[in-house]
Amino acid sequence: MRLEGKVAFISGGGRGMGAVEARMFAAEGACVSIGDVLEDESRKVVEQINEAGGRAIFLPLDVTSEAQWNSAVAATVSEFGKLDILVNNAGVGATSMVETTTVEEWDRVMDINAKGVFLGTKAALPEMRRAGGGSIINISSQLGLVGMDISSPQYQASKGAVRLFTKSTAIQYAKEGIRVNSVHPGPINTPMTERRRGDPDHQRIMLSRIPMGRYGESEEVAYGVLFLASDESSFMTGSELVIDGGWTAQ
Amino acid sequence: MPERRPRLEGKVAIVTGAGSSGAGIGNGKATAVLFAREGAKVLLVDFAKDRAEETLAMIQEENGVASVFQADATSAEDCRLMVDAAIDRYGRLDILDNNVGVSQRGTVVEVTEEDWDKVMNINVKTMVLASKAAIPKMIETGGGAIINISSIAGLRAHSSTPYTTSKAAVIGLTLSMAADHAKDNIRVNAIAPGLVYTPMVAPRMDEDLREHRRNSGPLGTEGTGWDIGNAALFLASDEARWITGIVLPVDAGLLAVTPATYSPMQQQTRY
Repeated sequence: MRLEGKVAFISGGGRGMGAVEARMFAAEGACVSIGDVLEDESRKVVEQINEAGGRAIFLPLDVTSEAQWNSAVAATVSEFGKLDILVNNAGVGATSMVETTTVEEWDRVMDINAKGVFLGTKAALPEMRRAGGGSIINISSQLGLVGMDISSPQYQASKGAVRLFTKSTAIQYAKEGIRVNSVHPGPINTPMTERRRGDPDHQRIMLSRIPMGRYGESEEVAYGVLFLASDESSFMTGSELVIDGGWTAQ
Repeated sequence: MPERRPRLEGKVAIVTGAGSSGAGIGNGKATAVLFAREGAKVLLVDFAKDRAEETLAMIQEENGVASVFQADATSAEDCRLMVDAAIDRYGRLDILDNNVGVSQRGTVVEVTEEDWDKVMNINVKTMVLASKAAIPKMIETGGGAIINISSIAGLRAHSSTPYTTSKAAVIGLTLSMAADHAKDNIRVNAIAPGLVYTPMVAPRMDEDLREHRRNSGPLGTEGTGWDIGNAALFLASDEARWITGIVLPVDAGLLAVTPATYSPMQQQTRY
């Protein structure tokens, strides 16, 4: 198994990509903590993992709260003994123009998508140092690499922040054996994109920009996250793994 | 938990440059061994038959399926025969790992025209010719995956102008092929290895330089052919089925701190 003996924490693991990552990590031998604001959905994922013979727990987590991050990481270590892998997966989407974006909306998206990644990383690093190294995977977006007219300033800025935060952390902690990489999914069939996928005009525009001609699936992102979490990528840090059906290639 | 299936079960792969140019594990050898270990049938292509046979021996020791095909990948005819051999022996073609390559130091003032042509032929044209032969066959069976080995030298100055130019060309080739063949369900991706220690670079390394290269990467660890092989395995597998047109650095973090890459490379010019 590719994550045998590892302990992983996944923020936003209650549904969408995070839930698929949680199940995949458990199937590959990891003990998994799911941190999420969605308790019912997270508990369902935990139950599925435990019924399949894996080990998982749920921890309530608002990623914008440093105190909640600290207690969630402490609870993980107390349950599973250490922390090797952190997936900063929690995030929200947003659509607006600069002039229609309120300060409150800017702060909300930056807090969840960017500050949440900083706080998770800050909470996890001491435990990874204690474990002798680790792997952090930050979920950015293809829209953290290139601009798009029908996205939003706050979403793009937050995902761009994750891209460079990843490199900064990678360089600062490389010598301690802590690897940090970002993943850049294109449009994926998840609950976050569900509402907009229902709009045929929106879907047409999105599909016209994907050379492979379809949205991605959560599993297709999760496999990339698994690769970066595993020791198979032990010579990789500070890199960007783009999973976008070719969006940014053209 | 159910037992995991081999990640390349049922697939047929070609690895060019599947032998190593000296003792040890090169990128091609490691990739071929990992492909076979995960269930692929592998055609081991190399100009030097005896080198590919060493890779074959490693695979056979693990009860993997592979065979050697001697070819000069700069020849269109050899590339056609290579693809035909994969299909004759194993029935189909799913994966092409365009790994063959050589290094070449020097500035534009120093490099001879002959050496320039040689590097561009071996590092770029081989990928074009092998892909040209492989893609129609991949289309017949519903798609495939092509991996082109570039280098961090294709993205940054590296005191090796001919090599850097050829590896930058590999990136352009990868992006363009990815866009051209996405509709055929053929994925095309590049790997940009950093300062990995392989038989290709070993002859110009003494222990000091080897240590210097190891320490120049932020991780401070020495990369090997296995690191490149694991990345190629991921990109070749169906796990990466929505990934196309990317350049994946496997470089201990060098590209994330770009200025630090230049000075260690300068050190190599004394060789």
